Parts: sequence; structure tokens; C-alpha cells
Amino acid sequence: MEYILHILVITGIYIMLTLSLNLVVGYTGLAALGHAAFSCVGAYASSLLVLNYGLSPWIGLIVGACVAAILGALIGMPSLRLKGDYLALATFGLGVIVYSVAKNWVSVTRGPMGLPGIPGFSVFGIQLSQVWTYLLLVTVFVLLTYLVIHRVVSSPFGRILRGIREDEIAALAMGKNVNKHKVIVFVIGAFFAGIAGSLYAHYITFIDPSSFTVMESIAILLMVVFGGMGSLPGSFVGAAILVIFPELLRFLGMPSSVAAPLRQMIYGLLLIVLMLKRPQGILGKYRWK
Amino acid sequence: MHTMQFILNGIIAGSMYSLVAVGFALIYQTGRFFHFAHGVVYATGAYLAYTLVISLDINPVASFFLAAALAGVVGVGIDRFVYKPFRKQKAPNLVFLIASFGIFIFIQNLLQLIYGAQILTMRTGSVKEGHHFLGAVITNIQILILVVSAALCLGLWLFVKRTKLGKAMRAVADDRIAASVVGINPERIILAAFAIGSALAGAAGILISLETNIKPTMGMNAILKGIIASIIGGIGSIPGAMFGGLFLGIAENLGIWKISAGWKDCIAFVILIVFLLFRPGGIMGVKSEGERL
Repeated sequence: MEYILHILVITGIYIMLTLSLNLVVGYTGLAALGHAAFSCVGAYASSLLVLNYGLSPWIGLIVGACVAAILGALIGMPSLRLKGDYLALATFGLGVIVYSVAKNWVSVTRGPMGLPGIPGFSVFGIQLSQVWTYLLLVTVFVLLTYLVIHRVVSSPFGRILRGIREDEIAALAMGKNVNKHKVIVFVIGAFFAGIAGSLYAHYITFIDPSSFTVMESIAILLMVVFGGMGSLPGSFVGAAILVIFPELLRFLGMPSSVAAPLRQMIYGLLLIVLMLKRPQGILGKYRWK
Repeated sequence: MHTMQFILNGIIAGSMYSLVAVGFALIYQTGRFFHFAHGVVYATGAYLAYTLVISLDINPVASFFLAAALAGVVGVGIDRFVYKPFRKQKAPNLVFLIASFGIFIFIQNLLQLIYGAQILTMRTGSVKEGHHFLGAVITNIQILILVVSAALCLGLWLFVKRTKLGKAMRAVADDRIAASVVGINPERIILAAFAIGSALAGAAGILISLETNIKPTMGMNAILKGIIASIIGGIGSIPGAMFGGLFLGIAENLGIWKISAGWKDCIAFVILIVFLLFRPGGIMGVKSEGERL
């Protein structure tokens, strides 16, 4: 039972990451491949504040999210001028750089040894220690994320984002500040990724750089694509299936030297087949012309 | 004293990046998308050579050519079964990129399933002391790597500049529709680019397996550095990709010396981002579409 609840908490965190990346990739059409970098920054900023200065994890969470958002703005402003594949590379590079910093800046992050003993959240003086309390907490945050992103994409602002995705030059010609919109979207995405990272850190109570590799960013992108680019319900489905499905494979009783690569192979194959047969994802409606 | 050694190590690492980068550039030019799975073709080359030399006990020189050719076949297969249907649907580049990740993940884990996640080595016998050269030490294997990779890069460059097929490739790179109007079949040219580019990537994988250990995840580093090399050299330019690879290799190794080995990837990506922001045309200053290759 504990195990099932744990999987659900992790699913919730991935849903937050998928929703926020969907805003960037699915709605605005920006090829961003460094989402794990923002959750890494959020997780580390939050954990370090709590561990080193004894602050409440809540303050850590907010500061962590803000630091991730600021990083998003700093990176977004210059690199969002790049198009398509180049933007993908620049954000990919960001992922590698953030990972390297977390791994090599040993005096602060303790490098590959990670940060153990991160305190958990407490609500009204009651320490959250049971898994189900975290499930409630994460559910609240998932709903908040959903509401904010839903609001963003269904507002006139969201219409401009879809306009940028469909035809950037047309959006420019309509007098829209395309770059400003891209940066704002990027910052919102980074902010929620920061929250997700912080939640993860305080839930697991241990972080190390290996949780925030570039492959992690690709996995989140896969969830977005799988559920459907530009579909918020799709993000729920995509994240849920891709987190829970590998857990089910665990019960087939294969040795891990076979199961691990086999699982990854299924992922890879899924990506190719999905792109060939149903590029709009499971629940998506958007399809290129 | 040490400087020369680090520069030499940089040149050797850089020549591998160059080989991956020129193949990548060739494919990018004709197909117009980022073939990320190029890195896994490189890893496949190394493992094919391992199988041929160690498991099947075939003559190493013959194995080299056979493994490179097989890597070319793998590349062609990827293009036929994955990219070609996308070209027919006129899919956007993001779709190519995602599918390319899919291929990468699939083949890398296939290698891991077959050969295991542990490192393998093709080296037999003891390590011999190398030759002293301008204050640096270089082994016979390293000389072989340098000579073969330089010959392959120059050969590709001459091929693209001088032969009829190379000319057709430049035409497709320049303008696919105009090329098809004058009777060039772009699909066949893209296929040829995949065959040649993938064989070069395979050759790079084989060469590196003579020098270091091989592991299934080796392709990721190779393609990242290959792409960075090709961008800092000027995307799509073959001489640019060669220089970009050497530049990157030397910069990384000087960084290892002056800073620490852990920051190697970080240095490479900082260089990439600086180039993307301030000189997106690369060292060669590629400007318009027509100037490329």
C-alpha cells in the first residue's frame, strides 16, 4: 500500500513537470530539452536553504521556484531568439551545464555524494511524515499547477502562444511581442519545474545529481509527446502511464540486466511509433499541416 | 612540456569529434534535420568491430572496413524506416528530433542488452611506450588514429568537391526542389549521405575502440561533441566541422589540465552557447544557405 502511494506521489510530481513543459513545448512550440535543469535548481536551492540556514521548507520551496524562474529568464532571454533545433541544443546544453555544476561544485552541493537528510514539510506545526500526507500535498500542487496553466492557455495570452506555434511571423505581423511571450512562458515553465524539484527533494529527503540528468529531461518530453502536445489532460495521462508502466514491468520477474534496457527499448520504440502513427499523442488534437 | 601533451590529447580526441561531425554535417545538409541518432551509429561501429575482431576472430584490417560498411547499412536502415516516412508527411523538425531520440534510446539499449552494460576492450597485450615527439608522448595506435581520421575527413571533402555524386549532394543541400528539377533524385542523395556519414561515424567508433574501452552509452558524448563541433565550425561546412572538432578537443583538454576533468562537458557546452549567441555562423562564418558544404 505504501508502495502504491509512493508511486502516486512520484506520478504527481511528474504530472507537474509534464504540465509545465507542455506549456512550453506543446502550446508555444519551443523545442526545450532542459526541463530537468530547472527542477534540479529548484531542488538544490530549496534543500540547501533548509539544510544550511534552518529555514522552513515552505520558504525553501518558494525561493527554489523563484531561483529556477530567474534562471529560466536569464537563459531564456538570449537563447529564445534561436530557432528550432538550435534552441533544442542550447537548452540541452543548459541541462548538461546544470548537471555538471551540481556534480562538480562539491563544496556546496557535495557533488555525487548528494544531500542527505533534507527535512520534510510541516503544516500548522504538524510534521508530514506519512506517505499519504505527501500524496495530499502533491495533489494540491498538481491542481494548482493545472489551474494556473489552464488559465494561461485559455486566456488571450494563450491564444498568442498558439499563434507563435503556428506561425511566428504572422504573430509578429499582428504586433505581438513574440520574444517577450516566449520568455514569459519559459519562466512560468521553469517556475513550476522548480516547485516540482523542491517537492521531490523534501519528499525523498535525499537528492543527488543523477536524478536530474539530460535523459530525465528527455523522459519528461516523452511524457508530453505521449499524452499529446497542447493537451493538458494528455499530460496527466502521459505522465501517469510512463511512470506506472515501468513499475508494472518490475513484477514480471526479469533480471534487472535484462529488464532495464528492455524498458528503455520500449520507450524508444514507443517514441518512434508514436511519431509515425499518432504524432498528436494519445489525447492531443494538434497536428502539423 | 605538459602543454604539448594536452594539446596532442586534444587533437586525438578532436579528430574523433571531427569524424562524427563531418558525417553529421553531411546528413544535416542533405536532409535538413538534426540526426541525433548519429551517435548511436558510432557506438554500433565500435561494437561491430569488437564482435568481428574478438568474437569472430577476423583480420583487424578487414574488420575495420566491414564494420564501417555495416555501420553505413545501419544508418541507411534508420533513414529508410524512420526518417523517410516523416519526409513524406512533411513533418516539422521537432518530430524528427524526437524520433531521433527514440532511435538513439532504442539502439543504445539494444547494445546494452546484447553486450551488457560493462565496459569491453579490444586491446590485447601490454601497453607499449610511445614515441617522444615535441615534448609529448604518442603511441603507434594514436598515430594510426590521427592518420586514418585525417585521411577520411580529407577524402570526404574531396569527394564532395570533386565527384559527380558530391556535386549532386551540394545541389540538394543548396535547394532540394531545384535539384529535383534538374533530374537529381533527392531521396537517393539523402540515402547516399546517410550511407557515407554513418560509415564515417562507424569508423570513428572503431578507431576509438582501439584506444579506449567501449560501453553502450559512448554514443551520447560522441554525438553531443560532434554537433557542437559542427556548430562551432559553421553548421554543414565540412572543413568547418573538421576544425570545429579539433578546436573543441583542444579546448576541452586544456580545460581538463587547467580546471578539472569533471568540468569537461560543461566547457564544451559553454563554448557552444557562446558560439550560438555571438557567432551562430561558426568559425567559418556560414551565412546563407547556399554557401554550405
